[in-house]
Amino acid sequence: MTDSLGQQKPVNIKAQLQACRSKEETFKALVTLSKTLPRLSAEEKIEDNKIKGCESAVWLITTETNGVRHFKADSDAKLMRGVLVAILSLVEGKTLTDIQQMDLKTELAELNLASYLTSSRSNGVLAICSQLQRT
Amino acid sequence: MAFDPSSLRPLFPILSQQAYDHPLTYLDNAATTQKPLSVLDAIQHYYRHDNANVHRGAHCLSDRATNRFEQARNTVAHFINAPEQSHIIWTKGATEAINMVAFGLEHLLEEGDEILITSLEHHANLVPWQQLAFRTGARLRVLPLTSKGDWAPEFSRYFTDRTRIFAATQISNAIGTTTPLKIMLEHAKQQGAFTLVDGAQAVAHYPIDVRTLDCDFYAFSGHKMYGPTGIGVLYGKNHALEVLMPYQTGGEMVRHVSHHATEFNVLPYRLEAGTPNIEGVIGLAAACDFLSAQDRNALLAWEHTLAEHVYSRLHKEGDIEIYSPEKCATLVSLSVPNIHILDLNAYLDSQGVAVRAGSHCAHPLMAQLGVAGTLRASFACYNTMEEANRFCDVLLEAIDLLSDE
Ligand SMILES: Cc1ncc(COP(=O)(O)O)c(C=O)c1O
Repeated sequence: MTDSLGQQKPVNIKAQLQACRSKEETFKALVTLSKTLPRLSAEEKIEDNKIKGCESAVWLITTETNGVRHFKADSDAKLMRGVLVAILSLVEGKTLTDIQQMDLKTELAELNLASYLTSSRSNGVLAICSQLQRT
Repeated sequence: MAFDPSSLRPLFPILSQQAYDHPLTYLDNAATTQKPLSVLDAIQHYYRHDNANVHRGAHCLSDRATNRFEQARNTVAHFINAPEQSHIIWTKGATEAINMVAFGLEHLLEEGDEILITSLEHHANLVPWQQLAFRTGARLRVLPLTSKGDWAPEFSRYFTDRTRIFAATQISNAIGTTTPLKIMLEHAKQQGAFTLVDGAQAVAHYPIDVRTLDCDFYAFSGHKMYGPTGIGVLYGKNHALEVLMPYQTGGEMVRHVSHHATEFNVLPYRLEAGTPNIEGVIGLAAACDFLSAQDRNALLAWEHTLAEHVYSRLHKEGDIEIYSPEKCATLVSLSVPNIHILDLNAYLDSQGVAVRAGSHCAHPLMAQLGVAGTLRASFACYNTMEEANRFCDVLLEAIDLLSDE
């Protein structure tokens, strides 16, 4: 089974995004990150896995083994795939209780993403966050 | 000599700012235009010197405010060559103007009647008719214009003796196509249908003459023609406005009220319930004055030049698909296969280039084009050739950055 986060370590992702000093740098960092997200198959990109409220299409698949959560996700927009890599790095391998106790919005803001996302797309990110914290 | 927009730039101070350390390149004018100082000053002046409710009290300020308010109606009537200022109804925008007609004509519609629109409509000129059809049992029909907007002889079949209303946009907001209004309006009139033209995308660019157009209704918004938001106009011929049932009632639109009956006021007041948007009206008149003081043909030719330049630079790039006409458009709407328009938009934004990515409130048109949305750069008279080139350069950079190797 492929690791849903590719080869990236959460600390590296955080460092990469926090080093960005401009919108352009964040854009380029997200493009780079997007390349590490394994793509979903056509069978996985079904309506049931789709998250509503995103301007681009986003699919999210959650599984649980031995009490910890694993995530796979995809989007038709590249930057959103980069954002997904960042978000999933925060929650991958944690228990649902741990995830529910996280303040995902603040953590994303610390990754320079809050200012970056347009309002309609950040609504999409909020929809992703609440989906991640759902049972 | 070509028109030089640099003389206009100082009138729009908002344009000379930085966006994320880049010079702002504002190319989202089809969504809303920026406002010249004269419009801002007119609104300020009104609040500083003349503010009072209109048509009410007999006092100095109210008289002055009322005069300026009614003078503005005159200015707008001249601006679109309406025969009488009572044919100008203030609304909050094109959307409200169209809704006013859709509700106002409801009492004349019967089951089986037909409402005809075109396939290039903004949702504002589609949903009100669709809902009117649901309420009355009328049938909404759609004239299948191509993205080029050409008239085909077989289209005449869409105009039948059941066509009660024909509503069409003058220019498509999503792709910039000019519709064949003249011939469509002729067919509609032959069938005795009420005709409405959505001029939201035309007024900033084209001199409008409602007498030559000869439509029953003409709708537009102030904010897309250098005026303020929250103000728009419904123009109507006298008989057409007279048959509209007021869709809002209340103060100002009445002559006499008892607990059991109300006598409505005359036009235009009959259709203007409540205290109007006085500052908006005054700002809109200033925007008309701004445009009327320009050489309109020179502005239009310049806007066409900018759009044609962008078209000619980008259509050579194999991987860009352009949906706008090559000539005589004031915007360029495009997409790039395998690259999401939101990704392109994000890079343009990071470079200070403001455009619009999305479906442009025209879902059926996007379906017709076979895309989820497009990226749209739309021009106004103050845009420069440098800005048009900057859009092209940054877009090509974005495509480079976002292409999978
Ligand atoms: C063609 C067209 N019609 C109607 C509208 C609605 O205008 P408003 O939102 O100002 O009422 C727009 C605005 O985008 C438009 O482009």
